[in-house]
Parts: sequence; structure tokens; C-alpha cells
Amino acid sequence: MSEPLVFMMGEFAAEFPTDRQYARNHMWALASGESIRFGFSAYAVRLLQDVYFLDWNLAAPVMLQQQQEIGSIESKKAESSLYAPVSGQLTAFNDKLLADPSTINTDKYGKGWLFDVEPADPELPLLTPAQYIEHLDGVWKITQQTIKGQLN
Amino acid sequence: MIPIVVSTGQSKNPVKRELEEAVIAELDKRPGYEVVVIPNLYDLSPKGESMSALQALEGDLIIFSWFYQRSAHWILDRHGIHGKLGDVQLQAADEEEDEAAASGTEDEADAEDILRVIDQRPVSDRTIYCLDFRVSETANDFVEEAQRIVREITGQELDQWIQGTLSEQQQARYEQPQNDTAMGPATQAGNTVRIEEAAGRRWYPVIDFSRCTNCMECIDFCLFGVYGVDQSETILVEQPDNCRKGCPACSRVCPENAIVFPQHKTPAIAGAAADNEGFKIDLSLLFGQPNAADVAAQERDEQLVLAGRQPVEETPILAKRQADTQASNPDSLDELIDGLDTLNL
Repeated sequence: MSEPLVFMMGEFAAEFPTDRQYARNHMWALASGESIRFGFSAYAVRLLQDVYFLDWNLAAPVMLQQQQEIGSIESKKAESSLYAPVSGQLTAFNDKLLADPSTINTDKYGKGWLFDVEPADPELPLLTPAQYIEHLDGVWKITQQTIKGQLN
Repeated sequence: MIPIVVSTGQSKNPVKRELEEAVIAELDKRPGYEVVVIPNLYDLSPKGESMSALQALEGDLIIFSWFYQRSAHWILDRHGIHGKLGDVQLQAADEEEDEAAASGTEDEADAEDILRVIDQRPVSDRTIYCLDFRVSETANDFVEEAQRIVREITGQELDQWIQGTLSEQQQARYEQPQNDTAMGPATQAGNTVRIEEAAGRRWYPVIDFSRCTNCMECIDFCLFGVYGVDQSETILVEQPDNCRKGCPACSRVCPENAIVFPQHKTPAIAGAAADNEGFKIDLSLLFGQPNAADVAAQERDEQLVLAGRQPVEETPILAKRQADTQASNPDSLDELIDGLDTLNL
């Protein structure tokens, strides 16, 4: 595996391994056979900071529609609803995370995985690492505006 | 005589029932309080006995319900019970910090001077205090807040009469007169009126006219004929019972968040105070939340299909209208019209 790609979020160097793909909503996607495993990218984790609480509003197994609201997360600095990155059959949630969501902070690309999905469509709305970095270039400004807008 | 209305909840939850009864019992003991108990405010029939009783009340009033202050206030408004929003100090514990943080931001927003529907109405000379039963589990908290509000109202009334300011002792003597010429309170204790009325479950939007700018987005959007305009061309909820049960779609298209569905599970749609996020930033838009217009259109389509009608199947309405028109080559008429611009008429 080659060196991870880096994107500067202000002074923070966010790293993105090149062995996987990424979704526009800042999740990584690692395929293994029919199934794809998802987790939060360094971009998402940097914005959240310490994760306090993770909650899913569905139980596996279940069919998902892309962009369907599937859960929520609360962290030190932020909260958010969570949405399905692709359509397909959600086969499993990482149950260990529910008891200890801080693994998202300590091992976001490994043990901090969120859920597994068997996608419905072979054409997936996912980005290569290089495409994801380009996407970040585009959204970094909006991200800062969103945050400033809410603080005002 | 300040009327205190208690609007009971829909739920049979014994804890909630007990809280209501405890508050009613305590207020009932005190002479000078006129307590009126009615069924759930939102479900009341517009021409029913409870609503008529409410409409007959005069002057400032206090109302307990299971809704957010904003929701209760504007439900009453729709039935012709208008008033200024009273300052209720009893809040849920975590809301107090948020209010402090948010109060700075609200002043900035108001400085924008957007014309709201409420600005075009004469200022009401009555104040309505809406208390939310959900902010505490202790009946005494509510009783004390009601007493505080009554004292505040009485104090203000007296100040107006004497054209000055009453001292604490003077107000205390007025409330508990010791001299033998005192007439005593207008009502004795134990005067609670209970109105029983069959109330079916209703679902309809409530407009907050302190935010509404009469932009008409809602009437354009709702295809079930819920919205209409009154004689002064102001938006109103004309056919509330046309509203599709459970559908909150129009609240998402209102640019000023002026549409409230008091029974909706999301606090922001149910009328919770704005900026209640407190110190947490909401990252949902970044984490893949579909934009509000898309969600609204989808919800509306669901309702159309359930009602046996054709779904609209588009996201922003304007995008589709424009997609249908084809750009045509400019002809001599267009050139002529364009030429007018240069004439500087």
C-alpha cells in the first residue's frame, strides 16, 4: 500500500489511506467480496473530535436507500444525523462501537468501522482517494462557512 | 381575575395525569384563581365548547399544555385569541444555558428589519403566558411559576392604575388585605371549571406570524389545499383538516421556519425555541443530509400517492418548469426589444 494522501484542514494534516474508496459524506469504503465496510474518514473525525454517543435507528439486516437517515452521533463539539452512503442491504453494525464509540477516534480506519453493506447497484457513488481529495478541496470552504454560520 | 387554563394531554400516562391533577388541585385551593380545564388544545374543535370558553376569556391569561410555548401561543392565535408572548421563566434545565447563549444572536437577527405579518397587526394589549408541562416533573415548580406570573400581571395592572410603581409591601398588602373594608377576592377557592368534550386527533400546520413574511411558499407547495389567504391577502391555514396526517413537508419549505406541527417528533418542527442546539455544531449537511426542499418534495409525493393521486416527481418545482422550455434562436422581435434597452427611456 502506498503512502496515505494528506489534506490540510487548516493546520491539521488529515490522512487518507489509498487502499480504499471514499463517499461524499466523508465515510471510507473498503470492499471485501460482496460486502463493503464503511467508517468515518479523517475529515469527519477531525470535525467531530471526541465521540460520545452513537445511535442507529435501524436494526441489521435491513434494506437501505442512499441518503436515508440511519442514525445519529454526538461528540464533544458537534452532533449530526447519519445517512446511508449507498443503497443496499445493511448486514451488520459494529456493535462494539456502541459501548465504546471512542474507537472512532483511536482507530478510525480499522476497529472503528461503522457498518457493512452489500450494495444493490454495481455502480457505486464512491470516489477514489484522489477524487476524494478534490472533493475536499471543494467542501473545505463550505465546511468552514457552515461552522461559522452556526456560531454566529 | 387571571384565568388559568389547563389543557390536558392526549396520553393516558398516569405520571402525566397526576402532574396535571396535582397542579389543578394546588391552584384550586387558592382563592382568586379562575382555573379552566379543557381537553388537548391542538385537537379542539374550532366551534366546540372549550374553544368558545377560551374565546370568552378577557385580559391576560396563563395556559398550561403539553406543547412548546410557541406552539400553544400560535394555536390560540389561530382561534382568534391574540396576545403578546408572556415571559415564562420556568424552563427545562438545559434550555437555560442555551437561552443565554442564543440571546446575543437573536438581537443581531432582528436588526435585519424584515417585515413580519405580526408587524402589520395592531399591538395586542393582552399577554398570554404559555407553560409547557414537559419542562418539569414537579407540580410545585408550575404552581410557583403561575404565582410569579400572577404577581407580575397584578403588579403591572396596579402600576398602571396608580400611574407609578408599587413597592413590595404595598403589593403584599393589596394581595392580602388586613383592613375591614377589603372586599376579598372575586372568586372563592374551589372554583375550577372542567369542560369535557370529545376531541378526535387532528393534524394541521400552525403558522407563527412573528416569523411569517407572507412569502406564499407554503400555499404554492401544498397540493392538498390546506393554505389559503384571508381578506387582507394574508396567508392562513384555511382547511386544516385537508392536511395529510403525519406529513410535515410544508414546514421544510418555509424560509423563515414559521410553520409548526405541534405533535411532530422533531423539536424544531414542533415549535421548540430556535437555536436550541446550544454549544454543539450540527454537521448533518456535511455528513450527507439531503437538502430540505428534496425531503419536502419526497414527503409530499408520498402523501399524493397515498391519496390516490399522481406524484409530482421532481425536486425544485422551478427546475422542471425551466427544463421544459427550450432556448430558441433570437428573432427580429427579440432584437427589437433588446434594442429598447439602449434607448434609455
